[in-house]
Amino acid sequence: MADFGPGRMSAPAYLACVALLTVLGLGVAMWAHPAFLHSTLQSIGLEAVPRAAPGSFYAVRVAPLFESRCAGCHGETREKGQLRLDSFAAVMRGGADGAVIVPGDTKASELFRRISLPPTDDKAMPPSGKTPLTADEVTVIKLWIAAGASGEVREIKGAPKPVMEVTIPQSDPATVQRRRAPLAAAVKDLQALFPGLIAYEARDSADLEVDASLKGARFSDANLAALSPLAAHIVRADLSGTAIADASAPMLATMTSMRLLRLANTKITDKTMEALAGHKALKSLSVVDTGVSDAALEPLKARGVAVYGGSHE
Amino acid sequence: MSDRKNDDLMADYLQVEAQTRRQFVGWGAGGLGALFMNSAMAAPAPHGDPTALNFVRDPSTPLSVLPPQFRAKVKRVIYLHMGGSPSQLDLFDYKPILKRFHGQECPQSLLAGKRFAFIQGVPKLLGPMFPFHQAGKSGAWISDRLPHLEKQVDDLCIIKSMKTDQFNHAPAQLLVHTGDARLGHASLGSWITYGLGSENQNLPGFIVLISNGGTTANAGKPLWGSGYLPSVYQGVPCRSAGEPVLYLQNPQGVTRPERRQVLDAVDEINRHAYKEFGNPETVTRIAQYEMAFRMQMEASDAMDIKKEPAKVLERYGAEPGKTSYANNCLVARRLAERGVRFIQLYHWGWDSHGTPVDEGVNVGLVKRCKETDQPTAALLADLKQRGLLEDTLVIWGGEFGRTPMWENRGGQEMEFIGRDHHPGCFTLFMAGGGIKHGISHGETDDLGYSITRNPVEVRDLHATMLYLLGFDYRKLNYPYQGLDQKLTGVKSARIVSEILA
Repeated sequence: MADFGPGRMSAPAYLACVALLTVLGLGVAMWAHPAFLHSTLQSIGLEAVPRAAPGSFYAVRVAPLFESRCAGCHGETREKGQLRLDSFAAVMRGGADGAVIVPGDTKASELFRRISLPPTDDKAMPPSGKTPLTADEVTVIKLWIAAGASGEVREIKGAPKPVMEVTIPQSDPATVQRRRAPLAAAVKDLQALFPGLIAYEARDSADLEVDASLKGARFSDANLAALSPLAAHIVRADLSGTAIADASAPMLATMTSMRLLRLANTKITDKTMEALAGHKALKSLSVVDTGVSDAALEPLKARGVAVYGGSHE
Repeated sequence: MSDRKNDDLMADYLQVEAQTRRQFVGWGAGGLGALFMNSAMAAPAPHGDPTALNFVRDPSTPLSVLPPQFRAKVKRVIYLHMGGSPSQLDLFDYKPILKRFHGQECPQSLLAGKRFAFIQGVPKLLGPMFPFHQAGKSGAWISDRLPHLEKQVDDLCIIKSMKTDQFNHAPAQLLVHTGDARLGHASLGSWITYGLGSENQNLPGFIVLISNGGTTANAGKPLWGSGYLPSVYQGVPCRSAGEPVLYLQNPQGVTRPERRQVLDAVDEINRHAYKEFGNPETVTRIAQYEMAFRMQMEASDAMDIKKEPAKVLERYGAEPGKTSYANNCLVARRLAERGVRFIQLYHWGWDSHGTPVDEGVNVGLVKRCKETDQPTAALLADLKQRGLLEDTLVIWGGEFGRTPMWENRGGQEMEFIGRDHHPGCFTLFMAGGGIKHGISHGETDDLGYSITRNPVEVRDLHATMLYLLGFDYRKLNYPYQGLDQKLTGVKSARIVSEILA
């Protein structure tokens, strides 16, 4: 039975023993996990943690790719092949078989080799069954490695344009309510008077839409005039097929926020067009099947309003 | 025991005895219905999520308009489904290299590990069957089978990289129209009328028009079913020949005032039943009877294409009194003008296996093109001319693609030229508000077999459609079986930002 311990061994021999075992342990750890040394040194602060600068090509283009396409298996929850791709340091450190990125050398970079294999290959990444990277995504990674796999470089020539993701407008109900408040009572009253005619443009908006087209001849100039308390907040009005005529021109003139106005199949004429001259927001106007002349529409067309209809038909 | 109590017991006993089994079962069902409706119609309670959208409506006006979540780009959708799935390789996705390899054996690399509906062994490659050329300012490639659509090509956003995971018609159609390959989910039109209601209270908000009656929908009525959503949001099939809606008109000898009297009596009974049981479905039923009464006038008018000028009929190739895709396209425009939210057209017969002659790429497909090319183009042009295209979304497409290989069912060459089902890639086009036009999105490889750029999943298409209608696809949901059900399912979808204007 071997006797180890402070009581049976001289202190220097004991320390030597401990040191030897420590070195051996470290050696085994490094052999099993090459990134061990760097990750340990980095975690105890003896080595600077490489970081990518905010706004760098890596941070803007490459990191989101690794995050969304790779980090599910190579990240915080799973570390397949002891490889993590969820930070610049981890990417540069590599995995069980050593570095996966060789700066400036795509051919020698294991990561690039694996993502460019055909999807049916056993070694291909992402593995078979997962959505392969797109051609553009592969190109982004390739160009980044070729340009030195830097965390500083901001622009790399020839990189495919970034894809902009849609952001959903967020709104706070209290803010919406506050914006609607000044007109809320008038809106409610008029909605009761004209069921189904007036609606908020959206749940997050205080702007209004008016659709009288289904009322047909039962909707008159006087009815439209009744909406005057709301005039400045109406952004969309479909008055097609209603009984409105040029008598509504003054009312239409006060609806200055309008983006879209449909007057198809009504009795309006060029006179009403003059009333729209100051409507800067107007983007679309329909005067299909009306007596409006091309000449009266010219100024609107000239400032980019999409005009449908006119006397040329 | 007092007499009073005895009398009560006796009364209870008599009441129980007087109940027939049918009544008991009926009440049971009504009670369950009431429970369900209370949870379903009254308030799908926002469970804990303060940003959950509220879709509560007065049960007497289940189709009343609710504003979208945020400003919408489009107000309505016209979906032109080409049932059976047209060959993208013979219409939009031009592959000159495939043409060069026409007739050669398909390389093993394309077959390894793949399953096909019918192809067995090693099929031969099949090049494009028709000449292609570039059209419009956008220079989009299009085959000579679509000479009318070609004139509208600059209005189209052609997605060549659609993909699906279903290779049989029924599940693939269900996936496209309900977001899931299995039965029981709500269809596109149901989701959208649930979310937005419909402007016209005298017509259903979701109308289905079917042409080429020789074949039927593989997946049947669930394609326009409401799934777990209240049944009032299901699609209503209308006909372009004969009565638009079966059993809508009064029977012979019954006048409209007489019908009114009957309805008044039925309404009274229903109101009585509602007072007794409080089932909101009863109120919905009253509302539906009333809508049907109003529809007697409005539906006939909306569907009556005889009211269109001759030159319009000619543009569409429409012939009043027939059931045709052309008539349905014209009806679709009339419904769009009348504030119908979701208009679904189905034209069947695009399945081009090459087994019977009508399924030949060189025969059946040519016929389907002839039936649909002019009306589709006329619909787009008509909507555009009236200014309606800018707030309408038009979608054209099948449920999957076709193979670049000549189908060899049972290992034998087919008598006619055919292509098998191919879920790996297909082409779909959109036109209308909020999207870029005159563009192609996505690419396939030189043989037209796999997507090489910008794949678009069916759920991505759905998410994009809902975005254009003013919804975050995650927020248009409905609590059912412990899950906030969504059109896009449980997987995360992507709004195809590249095609948004």
